[in-house]
Amino acid sequence: MTNELVTADGAWSAATIWLVIIAAGALTYLTRIGGYLVISLFGSIPPRAAAALDAVPAAVLTAIVSPVLVSGDWPERIAILLCAVLSLRLPLIAVVVIGTVLVAGARAFGF
Amino acid sequence: MHPSAVCFFAITLTSTLTRLSDTTEHSDAAGNRPARSESADALREVLPVLLAVLPFGVVYGAIAVQEGLSVAQAMGFSSVVFAGASQLAALQLMGLGAPIWSVLLTVFALNFRHVLYSASLGRHFSSFSFLQKLTGFFLLVDPAFGAAEVRAAKTRLTASYYFTYALVLYIGWLLATLGGAGFGRLIEDPEAFGLDFVLPVYFLALVMTFRKRGLFYPVAGTSLAVSVLIYWLFGPPWHVSLGGLAGIAVAAIVGPQPRPGAPEGEERGVEGP
Repeated sequence: MTNELVTADGAWSAATIWLVIIAAGALTYLTRIGGYLVISLFGSIPPRAAAALDAVPAAVLTAIVSPVLVSGDWPERIAILLCAVLSLRLPLIAVVVIGTVLVAGARAFGF
Repeated sequence: MHPSAVCFFAITLTSTLTRLSDTTEHSDAAGNRPARSESADALREVLPVLLAVLPFGVVYGAIAVQEGLSVAQAMGFSSVVFAGASQLAALQLMGLGAPIWSVLLTVFALNFRHVLYSASLGRHFSSFSFLQKLTGFFLLVDPAFGAAEVRAAKTRLTASYYFTYALVLYIGWLLATLGGAGFGRLIEDPEAFGLDFVLPVYFLALVMTFRKRGLFYPVAGTSLAVSVLIYWLFGPPWHVSLGGLAGIAVAAIVGPQPRPGAPEGEERGVEGP
């Protein structure tokens, strides 16, 4: 990242954000057409590579969530563990609503 | 936003796209159905999914403006990426002040599953024109993949069906983003509403939808342990890349597993764009 792309307070400039948006769009399109291109060129995806690709969402999403256990206060820690259990039973949107309401409620009561 | 307006735009766009190729316009000798009923089937099937997806678009739009994106940037992001989880993750990392390459790597990693979708779905796009293929892959989100695979297994996947389904989701996603961006500007204290907690709990619930996949627990467990350790030792943003890579490495080393449980569409249908 060069200096022109960052404003004085360290936040991203508008130009940087647009750059990231366009690059992210190009990369995402590459994934959406990539499997078709690979199959067209080579015939198949190697099984071990497919297994690794299959694991990508679970691995990356877990890594995004888990710091809540380290950095969060107790309401966040408890809510995230509770939501992990709830998500075994409830649909995704219900878990999100319940978790958010729990944390907002705990904060309203001064925890 | 009104659902019927969304449908109208989708049908108009769909008929424009399908007109580009003759193959799907008319009922033929093989007994294929006319484009209109193909679109009607797609609409009927996509509307419940749309209702589940819209709230995430609103949440994304609200969080995007809270993170400092302009409404135009929030809309631009939705219109070129059209993948909610990766858009939210990118916002999270931008908020942490992460380097650009790590944001792009995360977007790429989160969207890597689409490689598998396009590898599979490409077989059912064989009747599509070149332009329809290019557009079709652009619109290839989780529910569209699930629905198209189910459709292809039952009958033939037509451009009318696919583009109606996918464009309703695309237009809905943009309108929801716009709504959320307008709404997000009105909130002065996002933490009081727990909005900073929406992303972690959303990703948590999203992860759990993959739990029937082979190796889920070893992969997620490894990722959890490594990311917590890295976060504790060095802080953000390395915990995402390194924790994620550790989980992926486990899957690559152990190799392919037989898949128990739900079929693709059922397992992935809840993810949204």
